[in-house]
Parts: sequence; structure tokens; C-alpha cells
Amino acid sequence: MIIKTRNLNLFYDKFQALKNVNLEIKENLITALIGPSGCGKSTLLRVFNRMNDLIPKVKITGSIIVDNEDIYSPLCDLIFLRKKVGMVFQRPNAFPLSIFDNVAYGPRVWNITNRKVLEEIVERSLRAVAMFDEVKDILKKSALSLTPERQQRLCIARLLAVEPEILLMDEPCSALDPIATTRIEELLIELKKNYTIIIVTHNMQQAARIADDVGFMLLGELIEFDKAKIIFTNPSDERTFNYISGRFG
Amino acid sequence: MASYFDEELKSLKNEVLTMATMVEDSISKSLEALKKRDLKIAHEIKEIDKRIDKMEIAIEERCIELIARHQPVGSDLRFLIGAIKMNNDLERMGDHAVNIADCVKFLVEQPRIKPISNIWTMAKIVNEMLKESVDSFIANDAVRAQKVCERDSAVDEMRNEVIRIMLTYMLEEPEKIGSAIQYFLVAKNLERIADLSTNICEDTIYISQARIIKHHIEEEKKNKPV
Repeated sequence: MIIKTRNLNLFYDKFQALKNVNLEIKENLITALIGPSGCGKSTLLRVFNRMNDLIPKVKITGSIIVDNEDIYSPLCDLIFLRKKVGMVFQRPNAFPLSIFDNVAYGPRVWNITNRKVLEEIVERSLRAVAMFDEVKDILKKSALSLTPERQQRLCIARLLAVEPEILLMDEPCSALDPIATTRIEELLIELKKNYTIIIVTHNMQQAARIADDVGFMLLGELIEFDKAKIIFTNPSDERTFNYISGRFG
Repeated sequence: MASYFDEELKSLKNEVLTMATMVEDSISKSLEALKKRDLKIAHEIKEIDKRIDKMEIAIEERCIELIARHQPVGSDLRFLIGAIKMNNDLERMGDHAVNIADCVKFLVEQPRIKPISNIWTMAKIVNEMLKESVDSFIANDAVRAQKVCERDSAVDEMRNEVIRIMLTYMLEEPEKIGSAIQYFLVAKNLERIADLSTNICEDTIYISQARIIKHHIEEEKKNKPV
């Protein structure tokens, strides 16, 4: 298990967004979190690299172990945690910099300044997202000139440049057309060989296509967690079935 | 309130039930034709079978459309896959009724042989199995379906019994070999209808409980060394 939560509760002031979540995420798999809007899936995702710390009046109880480390212990180094657990958002958020500088941004934060080393990292990261050959001659061009799909690939490459272990993805394809979505999904399947991926998605077919494990959430509770094959052919909870079959949500 | 998709599934279920009723009717008529040596009834079977074939295509197309348009999951998906398989099994049963009717056409031109009560006992059990298999599918009742599966070996045994009797007849009265072979074929067709009823029940168990029981797979899993 690369991530393990025990009796996890999260409050936004008085509102309880996560209720006693017990979850185990396995290495080198794609785990999808599904559920209707406001069910807590993005909140849960943000717990794994402590992004919720940025929100005022957040209170968390229970334990979250990432790679054998309690990430809410005072000893946890937040900078290292966010290097290890990177995040991709719904809309591609390329920086208004060149393609090269976008990918080199993280390594530079980690004090890598040697041009040759940076070039190697940029090439390796862009190759990992199958983008290097397309952009190798325009690395100095603004990242904002790329198509949304390429910008999203670039954001993933920017993550990979700091060598994370876990990739958190919050609806990474929701701003993309179906063809671009398919290509990003293929990329995720390729990336899971080297990384653990947790994806939040509203697209049930996407979860069915790419996820190995699926967790269904409702009103802050993790209702059911199982292999995707089981969730989509024989879910054990009626609420899961009602949601995935479009009967509510 | 039931969704549009629920209504579609309900309507599909009714179509499968209509087809099953036609198949039951066709099998009953083929046996009646056999009993009465009635060619007129035997001819009717061909007409019913044409309607069954058309219905099979219509149901199959409907299932494909529902899968393509609604991308069903869970028990909805299992139901549609089960309906496709059941549709195919019912159509095959219709063909077996035609085969029995063909035997009648041959038998009317042949000398009568001694009555074979086992065939009628077998036909009665096969009819019950078919009816129960369709009812358990409609009621989504795995327990009832399981009971039908358990009757299949008794029908196999009866078919073997019919074959033994027929062989004796053939040895006693070689001029009636032709008729005896026809009764043997009737028994074989009845046995296949029982097998197909069992298939429907296995699919009903899969739809209802997501358990695959065919080919004794569960027993094999249990007996497999860890």
C-alpha cells in the first residue's frame, strides 16, 4: 500500500466533508474516485498532498500514511511531500513561460541550475508524456500557445520533472475534447508503470476504461471501494449501482 | 419514478417473454403433432419458427442498441448480456421443435411402433423445465433457476433410457428401424431443449447474483489446491 487512511475525518469549519474514510491505495495502479458533485472526492484527493492546508478553518482527524509516513505528523516535510505527491488540475494551468521553463520550473526550485542537466530533465519529462518530438523545435515558445491537450500534457511533464511517486489528477480531461481525452487516458495507462495514479472523474466511462480500483463516495463517505471490474459489473452497494447506472447523481 | 432506461428494460423483458411463450407453444405443438401423428400441426411449427426467427433478430438488435446508447453497468449490463444469450437459446429451442415436427413427417409414412411412455414423461419434464427457466428469468429468481439446473441430469438419463428401448425395438423388429431412429431423434431434441433451459437458468443466476456456475466452474474453484 502506498497510501492508507484510517478513520479520516475532515471538517471545513463546522461542515464535515469527509466521514470516517478508510482507504488503501496500491502502488502502480490507477485508482479512480467517483461520486456526485460535493461528495468529497476532490477534498480526499487534496488530503494526500495536504493541499487542504491552504484552506482556512480546515480540521483533520485520523491518520493518512503515504509511503509509510504519517503526512500529518509535525515531522513531515511538506516540500518533500509535494515533490513526492504531485497534482494535475481540471484546467491545464501552464505557467506564462516558455515550454522549456515550465518543465524546468520544479527542478530549478530544487536548485538544479546546470543547463545540461536541466535539458536532460526537460527532454526526459516531455518524452514521458509523448510530447518531446512535437515540441523539440519550439521549446522557447510560450506554453500558452499550445492546444489545451498539449498544455495538460505539459502540466503532467512539469510534475514528472521533479520525480514524484504519486500523481493526483482532479478531472484532468474535463476541459478536453473526446480525442484529446482518449490520448490523455492512454498516457495515464502508460504512466502507471512507473507511478501510482489517483484520478477524480465525473466521467463514469473514463473510470471504467482506465481504472484498476474505484472508490465511490457519497456525502463525504467512501461507500464502496473495489476493483473496477467488480464496481462496474457487480457493485455490492445499491447506492453505487444507482450512481454508476445514472439513476441518481 | 422509473427512468426511461428502466422502461426500455421492462419492455425488452416483455419481448423476451413473448418470444419464450411462442417457443413453448411451438414445442408443445410439435409434441402434440407427434402424439397425434398430425401433419397439419407439424406444418404450423414451421410458420411459428419463422416468427421466432424474426423476433430473435429484433431482440438482438434492441439489446445492441441499448448497450450502445446507455452503456449499462452492474445488473443492467448483466441483464442485457443474459437477454442476448437467452434470446439465442430460445431461438435454438424453436429449431428443435422444427426438428421434432420433421420427425412427425417421416413417422406418418412408417409403420407404428410400440408406445414409448418414457418419451412422454421426458417431454413433460422438459416442458416444465422450459417454463420454469423462463419464469425464473422473468422473476430474477436464482433459487428457482438453480432447481431447474438440477433436473438436467435426470433428462439425460431418460434420453439414454429411450435409446436403450429403441435399440431393443430395432433388434426385435428391424423393419421398424426407421421409426425407432425418429423417436431416438425426438429424445435427442428434447434433451437439447432441457440443456438450453439449463443455460437460461445459468444466465439467470449470473444476472441475479453475478455468479458463473456453468461447466461446474464453482466446484472446480473449490477443489483447486491453494
